[in-house]
Amino acid sequence: MIELIHVSKKYGNKLAVNDLDLTIRKGELFAFLGPNGAGKTTTIKMLCGLLFPSEGSIRIAGFDLETAGKDARQHVSYVPDTPFLYEKLTGRELLQFVADMYGMPKDHGTRRIDAMIDLFSLGTFVDDLTQNYSHGMRQRTVFASALLHEPMVLIVDEPTVGLDPLGIRLLKDVLRNETKRGATVFLSTHSLDVAQELSDRIGVIHQGRLIGCGNLDDLRQCADLNGTLEEVFLKMTDEDQTPEDAFTAAARQ
Amino acid sequence: MSSPALLFQALRWRVFRNSLTIVLAQSWWRVATILFSCALIWAFLFALSWYGFHELKTSPQWRIPLEGSLVERVFDAFFLTLTILLTFSTGIILYSSLFAAAESQFLLSMPIPDDQVFSYKFQGAVAFSSWAFVLLGSPVLLAYGIEIPGGAPWFYYAALPLFFLGFLMIPGSAGAIACLFIVNLLPRHRKHLVIGLCILIVLTSCIWAGLWLKQVREVGFGARTWFESLLSEVSFLGSSLVPFHWMARGVRHAALGQADLMAYNLGLVWSYGLFSYLVTVWLAKKFYRSGFNRLASGGALRKRYDGHWLDDLLVWPLFFVDAQTRMLIIKDFRTFRRDPAQWAQVLIFIGIGSLYFLMMRRYYEQDIGRSFKIGISILTLTATSFLMCAYTGRFIYPMLSLEGKKFWILGLLPLDRSQLLIGKFVFSAVGCLFAGEFLIVFSNLMLGMSWLILCAHALAVALMALGLSGLSVGLGACMPNFRETDPSKIAVGFGGTVNLIAGLMFLALVIVTVAGPIQFLHGRDAERAVPLDTVPWFIWAGIVGGVVISGTATWLPMRAGMRSLKAMEF
Repeated sequence: MIELIHVSKKYGNKLAVNDLDLTIRKGELFAFLGPNGAGKTTTIKMLCGLLFPSEGSIRIAGFDLETAGKDARQHVSYVPDTPFLYEKLTGRELLQFVADMYGMPKDHGTRRIDAMIDLFSLGTFVDDLTQNYSHGMRQRTVFASALLHEPMVLIVDEPTVGLDPLGIRLLKDVLRNETKRGATVFLSTHSLDVAQELSDRIGVIHQGRLIGCGNLDDLRQCADLNGTLEEVFLKMTDEDQTPEDAFTAAARQ
Repeated sequence: MSSPALLFQALRWRVFRNSLTIVLAQSWWRVATILFSCALIWAFLFALSWYGFHELKTSPQWRIPLEGSLVERVFDAFFLTLTILLTFSTGIILYSSLFAAAESQFLLSMPIPDDQVFSYKFQGAVAFSSWAFVLLGSPVLLAYGIEIPGGAPWFYYAALPLFFLGFLMIPGSAGAIACLFIVNLLPRHRKHLVIGLCILIVLTSCIWAGLWLKQVREVGFGARTWFESLLSEVSFLGSSLVPFHWMARGVRHAALGQADLMAYNLGLVWSYGLFSYLVTVWLAKKFYRSGFNRLASGGALRKRYDGHWLDDLLVWPLFFVDAQTRMLIIKDFRTFRRDPAQWAQVLIFIGIGSLYFLMMRRYYEQDIGRSFKIGISILTLTATSFLMCAYTGRFIYPMLSLEGKKFWILGLLPLDRSQLLIGKFVFSAVGCLFAGEFLIVFSNLMLGMSWLILCAHALAVALMALGLSGLSVGLGACMPNFRETDPSKIAVGFGGTVNLIAGLMFLALVIVTVAGPIQFLHGRDAERAVPLDTVPWFIWAGIVGGVVISGTATWLPMRAGMRSLKAMEF
């Protein structure tokens, strides 16, 4: 469903993403971990078509993002770390706008909006202007708008920041249900427990390179450490160890 | 299912309707005040234009036929100016709207064609950049229609909005194409380069216009001869291949009741406008997303910022404030100088000021009457005060609002909140004092004004610098807008409008009380310099009055601002 084929991305002379080669299957929840500045958000922006790879190509649902971007984006939903809402629209008006922009028929759109309002418990505030929403309300509204058109690929950047425990529980359930429905979820997060609990596979990126990919056991082998995900992650992204060393060690494993 | 274009229109309408509902529900008088201010400015311009056209037509000194081609040349120059200003303003607004706004990222991640996103943004940018020009242009054209012999026919008034609408697409498209070109083709450090180029072009245009006016001045400022000479200099504007000339010609034909020629020119304007819009959208379809990508990934990931000699330079004149307040001022200055969109506009102010002084230079050199020179010195005082008012309204007023989300940093520091306001006040007053005093002392010396006039004008500038700073900082704290992050939008909001009107009224009071009596004194005996020991009482009374007015304008808003800031919860 998501194919990153030898993707590199440069900012000026700085290589932010280095030869990322990754395929994520339909219905898979892929957790993307890495320290700050490792290249996670750059990768996500490339997956959404906001940035183009300097080298390599990206395919979503079989569509190349550069040559058939509109078709690819029809299947994608993106929840950024700092979600955008029209401050002078109500939550319901925002959902209606998104439904219309994805070309959903009116009846179907209305049904889906009602379903999303129920799912994310937006009923008490959905007709208020979004400028009055708390962070949690904003996050739930953004998720509702992202799932409205039942995307085949859901890309989520740091979804748990600022959510209360109930909100995190709801989020986990939603992501699980999405994968059950057959959607592919690409989850970038610093919450290692969420990644460990939900993901089918975990990718670790460090200084632009994918230094480990697989389930927890695979990562343990990569790191040559039989510990928790946190211990494994910290060892893999140890600043004393260069990404090349980590990459070589991973390849050897 | 609807097309994205219709959905964007619906979105715009909903946002407008909801915003209006909130504003009317919360404070309808805010809307009323803004509308009243706009109406006041419009009426003033209309009266001025009406008087001007009437004078041109009837005064024995001028006797210009309003239906003749001379007036068409004036309109040529008017629409050329509009073209230049709209091209720049649309380009600058589009740059931030297309490439820096969070909304763009949201829309570009959806399956909406790039050209549709661009069109939506383009319409917003053209509307935002042109409303003020329409507000300023419409009274001139209405006055022309009334004053033309026999009066303009009804379709002249009906056609004016159509002319404007068609015309706006042309400079708007030019600005948009320039914006796309710059983002896609220019090398690194584009932001600085773009703004540098804009400033260079504006300054070059100003200098060119100044030199041209200077050349025109050689003929002498003598009514009709001067007017005809001036128009002969702009005869090149009358080329039938340029859109602003179609506007000028079309408006004149409409006013004369020549419907067929009006329709021909209106058709030209619209066809050219629509064509340029189509070309722009076609280019956006190809280059918008690539430009977005290029801009986002063109520079280095992280940039290292060091101290700057300008910061050290600013420390020197701030020796009289305590260390904490000085650091707050340096922080504000650093924020200001690292934002090219801010300092670029200050440079444009400087360009306008330079143009004014370039034009005035001829008067300094010429052997003109003393009363005329005093008139010019008053004009210079007024121009300097307007520049200070524009500066404090645009840059100082929004400063406290911009602290909004970062206020917790300052709020937790072991300092009195009033120091925040004092810091901003000193920052504003020092800047205004240095620039304003330089301009006024320099121009008065060049004009050979007496020490009395020079001192009185220098004092007036000092009083205005303090009063305008007090008003902008104090009112900025009384009516903060913590939601908005764009300082230009804060400046044109309700609080900014109130601040502007209060500032203009304050300027008028200071000029009348401090400079007015001197003008009156020289009006009685223009050629005689007044020795200091025989200065009449009303001059001293005016100075005392100016000090009181300035003190009030500084103290009251600052005190209200401090109270408001202390009571504020974050």
